Amino acid sequence: MKTKTAPQMAVQIGRLKLKNPVMTASGTFGYGEEYADYVDLNKLGAIVVKGLSAKPRTGNPPPRIMETTGGMLNSIGLQNIGVDAFIKEKMPYLRKYDVAVIANIYGESYAEYQQVARKLNSVKGLHALEVNVSCPNVKKGGLSFGTDPKIAALVTRKVKEETDLPVIIKLTPNVTDIAAVAEAVERAGADAVSLINTLTGLSVDLKNRAPHLKNITGGLSGPAIKPVALRMVWQVVKRVSIPVIGIGGIMTAGDALEFLVLGAKAVQVGTANFVNPHATTDILEGMCSYLKNNHINDINKFIGTFNEGGSSCSG
Amino acid sequence: MAKDIYIGEILKNEEIQLDYFLMKVSLPAAFGQPLPGQFVMVRIAGLAEPFLGRPVSVYSYRLRKSSVEIELLYRIAGRGTQILAGLISGSQLEIHGPLGLSYTIFPEKENAVFIAGGIGVAPLSLLAEHLCKTLCFPSGQMTFYLGAQTSSAVVGLDKLSELCYNINICTDDGSLGRKSLVTTMFQKDIKKYDPVNTAIYACGPRGMMKALAGILKPAQFCCQVSLEEKMACGTGACMGCAVAIKDGEGNIAYRRVCADGPVFNLAEVVWE
Repeated sequence: MKTKTAPQMAVQIGRLKLKNPVMTASGTFGYGEEYADYVDLNKLGAIVVKGLSAKPRTGNPPPRIMETTGGMLNSIGLQNIGVDAFIKEKMPYLRKYDVAVIANIYGESYAEYQQVARKLNSVKGLHALEVNVSCPNVKKGGLSFGTDPKIAALVTRKVKEETDLPVIIKLTPNVTDIAAVAEAVERAGADAVSLINTLTGLSVDLKNRAPHLKNITGGLSGPAIKPVALRMVWQVVKRVSIPVIGIGGIMTAGDALEFLVLGAKAVQVGTANFVNPHATTDILEGMCSYLKNNHINDINKFIGTFNEGGSSCSG
Repeated sequence: MAKDIYIGEILKNEEIQLDYFLMKVSLPAAFGQPLPGQFVMVRIAGLAEPFLGRPVSVYSYRLRKSSVEIELLYRIAGRGTQILAGLISGSQLEIHGPLGLSYTIFPEKENAVFIAGGIGVAPLSLLAEHLCKTLCFPSGQMTFYLGAQTSSAVVGLDKLSELCYNINICTDDGSLGRKSLVTTMFQKDIKKYDPVNTAIYACGPRGMMKALAGILKPAQFCCQVSLEEKMACGTGACMGCAVAIKDGEGNIAYRRVCADGPVFNLAEVVWE
C-alpha cells in the first residue's frame, strides 16, 4: 500500500505527548529564542532548555570550546540565568508557541535539585523536567550524581517528590554500565531516560604543551560519539520499560532514525544546531520523507523494529 | 536583513601576503547587508571537516544586480582557516550571517580614530567605508593607526588608502612604517584628540587591546573594540565564546562574543 498522506509522527513519552519525536538537546538551543529566526518552534516535538540551577551560574572561564575530529569539546560549566529568571523572563516567550517545553534542571545537592523542581512545578506551559545527573563540566553535582545507580535513584526520588510533571533522567555515558543506572532510576520512579550526555574528553595544544580548554577536560559531542550513543541506547532499551530518548551525534534524519529503530521513542538534536541552525526541522522533514518512501504511515510502527539477526528487511 | 545560512560561491581566494588571504564570495541577494563589525560563520558546503563554522568579520559588501558580493580578509590561524585557504574559485561555502552586533557609530563626533592590529584591519575597514560613503563623514577627520608584527602582516592598505588620508603605519620590527607598537604610536598622538569629540574604534590581538585599555583608562575616551573567540554556533546558544565583561555596577559576568558582541566598550572588558 502506498501512503499518500503525511505519516503520523506523534509519539508518547509516558504521559508526555509530543507531536513528533524531534526534540532539542539541552544547552544547544538556548531558551528557544536564539533559534526562532531559523526554525518554526511550533514544528518541534519539544524544546529542552539550557540547564537551570537554583541561582544563576557564571560558568567556566574561557576558552570553553574546541573542535575535535567529527565533533567538539565544551566546558561551558552550566552558565545559566537561574530558575527564577527563567520563569520570569523566558517562559512568557516560550508559552507563545504550541510546543512542549522541557526544563533541564541541575543541582549541586539533593536540596538544590528539589528546590529547582519545586519552583518549576506549577509553571504554566512547562511539560516535563529533564534532570541533569550527567554534566562533566562542573566540580560538584552533575556527573557525580549520575555515575552511582543508588545516588541517581535518590535524586530521581527527591525530584519526583517535588513535582507532578513527568521526570526524564538524562544519563551520562561516563560509566561502566549505563543500563544499571537506567534500571535504578526507573525503579525510583523516573518517567523516562534520555541518553547520552557528553563523553569526558581532553584536547592537547601541542605547540604550548597545554590543554586547549581552560577547564582542561570537556564534554565531547557531535557525530564522533554517535556509535557510542547508539550502543548505549541499544543496551538501555533492553533493560528498562520506560521510554528512552536517544541523544548523541545526530546530524541527519538517517541518524535520528537509527536511534528510533533501536527503540528510542524520541531523539534530541544537539551539536547539529551549531553547524546548521535548521537541523531540527531538516531532520524532521527527512524522517517524514523516509517514512513516506518506505510506506510507513505511523512512526510508532518503525520505532523498535531493529533486526538484530541482521537479515534483510522488507519494505 | 534576516540572518540565515546561505550558499555562497567563491569568486576569488588569493594569498595577498604570506598566510593572509582575501576571499570574495558571491551570495544570493537575500543575504542582508552586514553592518560594520558584524561577522559570518564560514563552512565548506557538504564537507564534514572543518566541523564547525569559522567566524570571520566582513571586510566589504557590494550589491550586484541579482546577487551580493562580500569580501573576507583572514589569516591562517589554525586547521580550519588552513583548509579555507586551500579552496579554489567555484567552491561552495555555507555562509551564516550577518551575525553579531555592529560598532555603534558616532558620526556627530569630530574625530574618528581607528586602531588596528594585523588582521584587525578587516572590520575597521568596512567601518571606515561605511562612515565615508554612507554617512559622508569627512575623510580628513578620520585617522588610522595600523600596526603589525612585520611588513608582510600589514594588509588592507590598498582599500584603506582610498578611504582615508591619515594612515599611520608601524611594525614591531620596523620593516614598514615606524618601528613601534601601534598602541605606543597612538599614545604619542593622544593629546591631539579631545575625548568628548573623538570616537575610537579598535580591533586587534588581545595584547594590543589590553594595552589600549591601559592607555585610555585615565582619559575617558569612548572606545569600542571587536573581540575574537572560538565559536560553535555564532547565534548565542552554545555559550562557548565567553568573555568577561564588567557592567556599570562593577559586576563581572561572562557575555557571548557572538551575540552580545563581538563589539564591546573597551572599558567594560575584563582582561585576565
